[in-house]
Amino acid sequence: MSAEFGDMRTAYGSALIELGEQDKNIVVLGADTTDSLKTSGFGKNFPDRFFNVGIAEANLVSVAAGLAYSGKTSFASTYAIFLPGRCVDQIRNSIAYPSRGEKKGLNVKLVTSHGGLSVGPDGGSHQTIEDIAIMRVIPNMKVIIPADAIAVSKLTKNISQIYGPFYMRMARSKVPNVHSDSQEFEIGKGITLRDGNDCTIAATGITVKMALDAADKLQQDGISCRVIDCFTIKPIDKDILEKAARETGGIVTCEEHNIMGGFGSAVSEVVSEIYPVPIRRIGAQDMFGESARDAEIPQLLEKHGITSINIEKTVKDIRSKQ
Amino acid sequence: MGLNYYQIKKNVLQARKLVIRGTSIAGSGHPGGSFSMAEIMGCIFYNHLKYDPKNPEWDGRDKLILSKGHASPGLFSNMAVAGYFEESQLDTLRQFGSKLQGHPDLKCPGVEFCGGSLGIGLSYSIGNALAAKLDQKDTHIFTVMGDGESDEGQVWEAAMTAAKYNVDNLTLILDRNFIQQDSYTEKIMPLDESLDDNELSEMWKDASRWKTGDKWRSFGWNVIEVDGHRIEQVSDAISRAKSVKGMPSIIIARTIKGKAVEHMEDNPQWHGKAPALSLVPVINQELDSQFMIAPSIIAGDMRNLENEVKRCDDGRADYIHLDVMDGQFVPNSTFDHTKIKELRSLTVTPFDTHLMINEPVKQIQNYIDAGSDIITVHAEVCDESSFGEIHDLLKSNKVSVGLAINPDTSMPDWSKKFISTLDQIIVMSVVPGKSGQKYIENTHEKTKNLMINLKENDFTGYIESDGGVTLDNIGECFTDGARAFVGGSAIIGQTDVRLVIREFRNQVLRTRRKLLIQKANELGGTELVNKWIDLHVIGKKKDELHQIAMELGYQ
Repeated sequence: MSAEFGDMRTAYGSALIELGEQDKNIVVLGADTTDSLKTSGFGKNFPDRFFNVGIAEANLVSVAAGLAYSGKTSFASTYAIFLPGRCVDQIRNSIAYPSRGEKKGLNVKLVTSHGGLSVGPDGGSHQTIEDIAIMRVIPNMKVIIPADAIAVSKLTKNISQIYGPFYMRMARSKVPNVHSDSQEFEIGKGITLRDGNDCTIAATGITVKMALDAADKLQQDGISCRVIDCFTIKPIDKDILEKAARETGGIVTCEEHNIMGGFGSAVSEVVSEIYPVPIRRIGAQDMFGESARDAEIPQLLEKHGITSINIEKTVKDIRSKQ
Repeated sequence: MGLNYYQIKKNVLQARKLVIRGTSIAGSGHPGGSFSMAEIMGCIFYNHLKYDPKNPEWDGRDKLILSKGHASPGLFSNMAVAGYFEESQLDTLRQFGSKLQGHPDLKCPGVEFCGGSLGIGLSYSIGNALAAKLDQKDTHIFTVMGDGESDEGQVWEAAMTAAKYNVDNLTLILDRNFIQQDSYTEKIMPLDESLDDNELSEMWKDASRWKTGDKWRSFGWNVIEVDGHRIEQVSDAISRAKSVKGMPSIIIARTIKGKAVEHMEDNPQWHGKAPALSLVPVINQELDSQFMIAPSIIAGDMRNLENEVKRCDDGRADYIHLDVMDGQFVPNSTFDHTKIKELRSLTVTPFDTHLMINEPVKQIQNYIDAGSDIITVHAEVCDESSFGEIHDLLKSNKVSVGLAINPDTSMPDWSKKFISTLDQIIVMSVVPGKSGQKYIENTHEKTKNLMINLKENDFTGYIESDGGVTLDNIGECFTDGARAFVGGSAIIGQTDVRLVIREFRNQVLRTRRKLLIQKANELGGTELVNKWIDLHVIGKKKDELHQIAMELGYQ
């Protein structure tokens, strides 16, 4: 099956311009990566509402917080490695913590690109495999990881309409579309892309496509796998996970993130409390990444077991334990 | 609010007392940094900030961002004085369930920023200032930052951002108290220059050693440097900062950590420690014992009063006392309002105008217009009706009101109805008319008796001793209850005004220390006296206090 590819950053940039036209309270901030993040288009259209603060991420976060406190919807963007990793204090104390009444946290959307290992050539220093863990433990922070450009476009608009802090992580490279243009996204609701009863593959970000490919292969072996796009990691969709546990008896999680503290951990927390079934986590094996040219990225991912083949193997393994 | 000098001073005092109340009950908190910024907060709250305490979310308000969040008692106390909530709320500071958290928090209506993690407030303020510009709102952002906090790299990221975006609707005030948690800032991370010894006070005084302003100037900021405990200087600096367009402004306010309580002053230990409950009454008495030195310039060169004003400023006088004599109420004549108007442009130091003239009611508007901060008229030439007129006119023009009595007169009966709203009472201790006379001894007795009477009538102002005050008798005048001291030939007549003012202050301080030890003894005997003395670890104060206690027979 050949899929169409989409660029997440382009989708993000276009969505911002659309939002900017509709809502004059939208402001966009960048930290010297605005061409890369494709936010500079917003800046050309709305120069007064666009702030490039230079290579100063801590400042980026807190200026965005100040704008939000004064009623703006702030989108602050740069590479994933520089936002949660470098600025956890500013994110916690100037965005997530400040709450008044029903308003929990300030209305800042932290949208990053270059998440995970698939950053490629820039190497381990730029491959963030900790951001989900860091962001999801901060109260009031919501964490979402779209699987394709369609999801990015819709979710950008979606989170602009919901009050409060969000962290949204995109991938650097073009990714194959896994959703149709008509797909709707609701925060807190996972999407079942493929139904099945033998096992569940819960995936997030670019690994959703791997999950679908694995499910196709497994189907040929007579194993019917359910595939869920868990783009909404916090709030996580407990219902869809409980249902999957009850109906399929085992869950394999996939993420482009350390298996410790990330999406797999989040799923394990839910399932072990509600309806314990065997779980296997696929992701970075508590090791940092390293450089890989674009064509070599699959090799880098393979080193950590983040491949459709490994998903397939893991599903078979988990079924043997069921 | 736009309060005058005296009113701000009184509110600052009340706020300081609330800081002591809150932190002593909480058993923790940061009084040191709350006190260093006390006058800064007073000027913001009572002279510049637009707000409505009954409607904290009022859209037309300005925003005060306390970046140095650990000084939250200094914010909450002013919010109480300003009317956001009852003063008794300070009793819940840092307690479970209180909206007065250990660090400022949006949980408390009126608080605009969750402080605590340092170095964030300026960036956040810039965000708010940019939003106000986008919305074309006349919002001004006041940000108070600490000097230790300036170690944070984010501060300098923000400094560049404010300059890039010409953020001129923000005034940053640096509480430059020279102390951070571990020690002196110049030992931990110098902003000016590294400090090898402990001679902080020398650096404080020596402008050639200050480099902080240069840093901010090089970042593209308009820099104003002031003495952060001088209300008139801070307030004037804020006005000037606000008037500068096209670039951000910072006011570097040199302050003293723990200011107004001697044992806390310049003492790093008081960065984050609460005072003992048993000593709170002694501390409150100390806070109530602020005093002002007011040189009278007519004792100098009458042909060059401009220079006399400069000498007062260089000498760090609290007020400049202006004796206006008309040749009728007193035999001599000096100058009138036209001269005061000329002198006004030379300084922001409060003008303490003492009208020794007949029929002051006819002239009062001229002296208001000339720029007086305090105007005192003589009881001998007023009656209830004319003083009432003067009183109301001064109050409505935000000028402080004083009433003076000559050595042979006492407070007239009609004055009773004004006592609770009087800002100053001048007790003449010489026959008015000329400089250089000797203090009339029975004025001590007269002042003491007057003080008792005034307290009964809810007087909240200050008694000013005027005439013949010298180093020899200023201590006794203070003990009598006087808090402002006019010095003619004893100050202005001397060559080194700064030195003589310092000596006057030290003399009062020695007396004050004795009174405080007496208070401690009265409350808790030798044990409390010793506890009090042991707190005074900076400089040689402890030795002096032991000496006083021995002389008093407490040790």
